[in-house]
Amino acid sequence: MIRDVAIVGAGWSGFRSITPELSHKELMYDAAVRAYEDAGVDPRRDIDTFVTVGEDYHEGISIFDEYVPDQLGAVQRPVQSIAGEGIQGLAAAVMQILTGRFDIAVVEGHSKASNILTLPYILAFAMDPVFNRPLGVHPYAIAGMEMLRYLAETATTPEECAAVVAKNRSNALFNPLAGHGASISIDDVLTAEPIAEPLSRLECAGHSDGSVVFVLAAGETARVLSDHPIWIRGVGWANDTFWLESRPWGDARYARAAGEMAFRTAGIKSPAKEIDFAEIDDTFAYKELQHLEALGFCSRGSAGEWTLEGGTALGGEFPVNPSGGALGEGHLLDATGLARVLEVVLQLRGQAGQRQIDAAEVGLAFGWRGVPTTAGAAVVLSN
Amino acid sequence: MSLLHRIEHPDDALNWHGDMPTEGRYTAGIAGERFFREIKEKGQFLATVCLDCDITYMPPRLYCEECFSHLDEWVEVGSWGHVHTFTVVHRDLDNEPLSEPRILAFVTLDDADGGLVHYLDEIEPEDVYLGMRVEAVFRAEDERQGSISDIEYFRPV
Repeated sequence: MIRDVAIVGAGWSGFRSITPELSHKELMYDAAVRAYEDAGVDPRRDIDTFVTVGEDYHEGISIFDEYVPDQLGAVQRPVQSIAGEGIQGLAAAVMQILTGRFDIAVVEGHSKASNILTLPYILAFAMDPVFNRPLGVHPYAIAGMEMLRYLAETATTPEECAAVVAKNRSNALFNPLAGHGASISIDDVLTAEPIAEPLSRLECAGHSDGSVVFVLAAGETARVLSDHPIWIRGVGWANDTFWLESRPWGDARYARAAGEMAFRTAGIKSPAKEIDFAEIDDTFAYKELQHLEALGFCSRGSAGEWTLEGGTALGGEFPVNPSGGALGEGHLLDATGLARVLEVVLQLRGQAGQRQIDAAEVGLAFGWRGVPTTAGAAVVLSN
Repeated sequence: MSLLHRIEHPDDALNWHGDMPTEGRYTAGIAGERFFREIKEKGQFLATVCLDCDITYMPPRLYCEECFSHLDEWVEVGSWGHVHTFTVVHRDLDNEPLSEPRILAFVTLDDADGGLVHYLDEIEPEDVYLGMRVEAVFRAEDERQGSISDIEYFRPV
């Protein structure tokens, strides 16, 4: 990249399945205070620009952009809001620093999912209003159809998908932030009630409330502010076709494109050899496998077996979602990708406690915007 | 400074209910209009073709997503194809269990690239398989409104 950019502060609030005592603005404030303390910055004096991610229908208000400045210390400052995946917001903050105009930037994402009473309708509203929405189908049907096609094309088994759930929810037991930790077996997952076959209820991430805030700084500033800056080596993002009728149902092409862009900017030739661990979208269990393959960490059709054999477990050769992922932490709506980044930051800093990966030097975070989208974003971070 | 006080009793955590009534008009567009009129009036499908990329777009579009050229070549497409993927849906939009699970499929049409997402019927879920031959069942002509619901469902051939 034309300028070095690092994460010098990280803050969070939540992640719990309900937070009845806090408004979404207070969740953001709580996370922001931690991030600013962590970075040692005063937002009213030091921060040059602010980026938030969100989506009006998730907020239950229109033009949510107007609701964000005060709880971040951003009144009368440059503020940009992005309707997108959290890592797309991170990319926007990085780009603002790359312009040379800003030295310190903040990115924020949040979820108050427990306040949303009609989430399936909101997701159904994202489907084409003329060709798809009149079918009145629960949008997780798209995930069920993707999963079946992925299993058929790659000879991946339902057991291998269920192993992702067992691994991630077990990892979450070692993560005090995670609200959905559990010790469950592959059999528990396979016998859970079906939502959209072959997808079972336990293969769909539950939701959490929470907020994630990062303080980013340009090279020299980052070195002054932090003893241990976490460097952003490369960022990439991509969308596939919008049409359900034209997309490849068994393949996450958006993840391949986003990963290739991130690796290219980071100067990474062989992701599997040069990256030590990854936090990868697992909104649905099969997605972790599909994304692992599309990002090039293993060959197509081999992620399931790799998972079943423990290769992606904590202590495995390539730990995936040591935090517990969305399955273990809970899905944080637009902030889900930022939660993936948070774990990479904590691991690289050596602050991951019982789930700390030895000699973690380079990590990848990948976010997906969920059904019915084909939007993905990747970021490579290192010490 | 952080949050100094916390609400400590659930009864003290107030909230209000509200809804966001939204209504809108969704324009089918030039390509969609022609597609749905053909279904309504003739009970058949039309697609657009990109001759350069050799792609027959179903549903039809006015532009090619590969080469970005404008498409004005229209062809008739048969209403039969095969099940590319499917799912048995067990929840309704209120997230409540459906009394009778429904089969949703993506059907690729023989004469086109792409196809349609729709329900399968006249078959039990356990009998559906990938690659199964199916055909569209249209509503009676006087019931058709020019919408995707003019197709009742797909059924095995």
